[in-house]
Amino acid sequence: MSETSSTQQWGTRIGVVLAVAGSAVGLGNFLRFPGQAAANGGGAFMIPYFCALLLVGIPVGWAEWTMGRYGGSKGLHSAPSILGLVGGGRSWRNMGVIGVLIPLAVSFYYTYLEAWCLGYFWQFANGGIGIDISEPVADQSARAAEFYGHFTGRGANGVIAGGSFSTLVFWGITFAVNIWLVFRGISKGIERFVRFAMPAMAICAFVVLIRVLTLGTPDPAMPEQNVVNGLGYMWNPDFSALTNAQTWLAAAGQIFFSLSVGFGVILNYASYLRKNDDVVLSGLTASATNELFEVGFGGMITITASFVFLGAANMIGAVQGGTFGLGFTTLPVVFAHMGAAGNVVGAVFFFMLFLAAITSSISMYQPPLAFFQESLGWSRKAATALMVSLCVIGSFLVMYYSRDGLFWSTIDDWVGTFLIFVLAMIQIVAFSWVFGIDRGWEEAHHGAQIRIPRFYRPIIKYVTPTYLLVIFAAFCWQNLGTWVQSVLDEPLRQGAIALIVATGAMLFVCTKVGERRLRAAGLDIDGRMPAGD
Amino acid sequence: MTVLGWTFLIVSLAFVWGLTIWCYYKVFTVKGP
Repeated sequence: MSETSSTQQWGTRIGVVLAVAGSAVGLGNFLRFPGQAAANGGGAFMIPYFCALLLVGIPVGWAEWTMGRYGGSKGLHSAPSILGLVGGGRSWRNMGVIGVLIPLAVSFYYTYLEAWCLGYFWQFANGGIGIDISEPVADQSARAAEFYGHFTGRGANGVIAGGSFSTLVFWGITFAVNIWLVFRGISKGIERFVRFAMPAMAICAFVVLIRVLTLGTPDPAMPEQNVVNGLGYMWNPDFSALTNAQTWLAAAGQIFFSLSVGFGVILNYASYLRKNDDVVLSGLTASATNELFEVGFGGMITITASFVFLGAANMIGAVQGGTFGLGFTTLPVVFAHMGAAGNVVGAVFFFMLFLAAITSSISMYQPPLAFFQESLGWSRKAATALMVSLCVIGSFLVMYYSRDGLFWSTIDDWVGTFLIFVLAMIQIVAFSWVFGIDRGWEEAHHGAQIRIPRFYRPIIKYVTPTYLLVIFAAFCWQNLGTWVQSVLDEPLRQGAIALIVATGAMLFVCTKVGERRLRAAGLDIDGRMPAGD
Repeated sequence: MTVLGWTFLIVSLAFVWGLTIWCYYKVFTVKGP
């Protein structure tokens, strides 16, 4: 019998740190970050990037860790309950539904993307994806794009009709592993796994990094295509980019999505801490780990390797291809150029991506699972069955409506991007203005092993909410019109919105049921009791 | 790769590696209150 939600706890400090870091480290660290940096000023991008880390990423993270542990100390583990407790009322609890909707809805498509990583790992471990390097680079890229389209079912709806049956098999394996790990519980499942997966991911990243940095000048006929110039393509600063608002927006967005703040995961994970466990150092360590993978590995591997083999002329297309274009069409061509070792490097790279993805996806299943247990009063087994049913429905819709990735990318836009901004703003306002910065500061420092520098008090109260609001406003100004129009124009996108609304409505009803149940059980769900009770 | 490119690369790497090592050092060595 697995542990019940209310009795679960992390076994070790390092376990929760690695679990939160694992949740944050994902595909974006290795694929999205380098593309964003290269396209937005290179080295100069790091100035707004680190500003956003220090002014938004780390402060919101501390707020989430603190609120999560506070909720856990009152026996509450879901975002609606914790925000209701911290905000002191029903409206905050209702807004907290977003904190369950985000991980649940994102999991509908994330496991599918994770299956791509496993599938590509399998392909490279068994001889690659059939790229002939004697052909022109454009033909090699076309072959890689063809394989990608076939494997992911982009050609037509239905991953089998538009793609291959093997994608479904890899999804089934991926989903089963995720559910098994989450069902085993916080300590025996998630914690044990991340303690293996995070070091393994670091080792894989090291192996690939060393291979990339020792590539030298693979083609003597093209001496300009070397490692140093590849690093230069990524890191040479273009200071004119700093005068462009887009650069600051891209940097803040990258930090924001990379750290997994505003996702609802940290609230839940931190609720399994003991009352006097540290949150300040743990939160900072998890953020630092994410940055190490992003800047230390992501910033050194992808662009550099692509430049060395493809040259500056092909880099613009590679960078503009975005996260998935870079990862699943450009890099396979790069690995093919590495000769006999290319398949090994490719296999290690995609296994690393798979580990990055699975440590993120398991963190998406735990919050809804805890929510169903808490709101419906169900056993872990029954709550798991409900969650699996929802995820299977959601994921099959994603895989069935696979044409051009429109269905899942709509969920990614509206839930995995838009709602994350909304939840982060709700959380930082609840923490610093409703709960109160004085109370929040004191709560954060219960059992803290380091103190947050005092200048962070005004930052958390004024600067972080303002920074977030400005980014959000700029983001909406830039994207919302196009997004709304694309939904109005495309039935597939309307279907995705319907799925999001239906899932949100169901979670809202569960929250209402839970409200009655928890109140009847005598829990302080509105935060009426004095602090410390 | 320009001098400024090297500078941004080295400073960024030093920051993330330094912060990470410092954090894990604290996690493994500092006892709670």
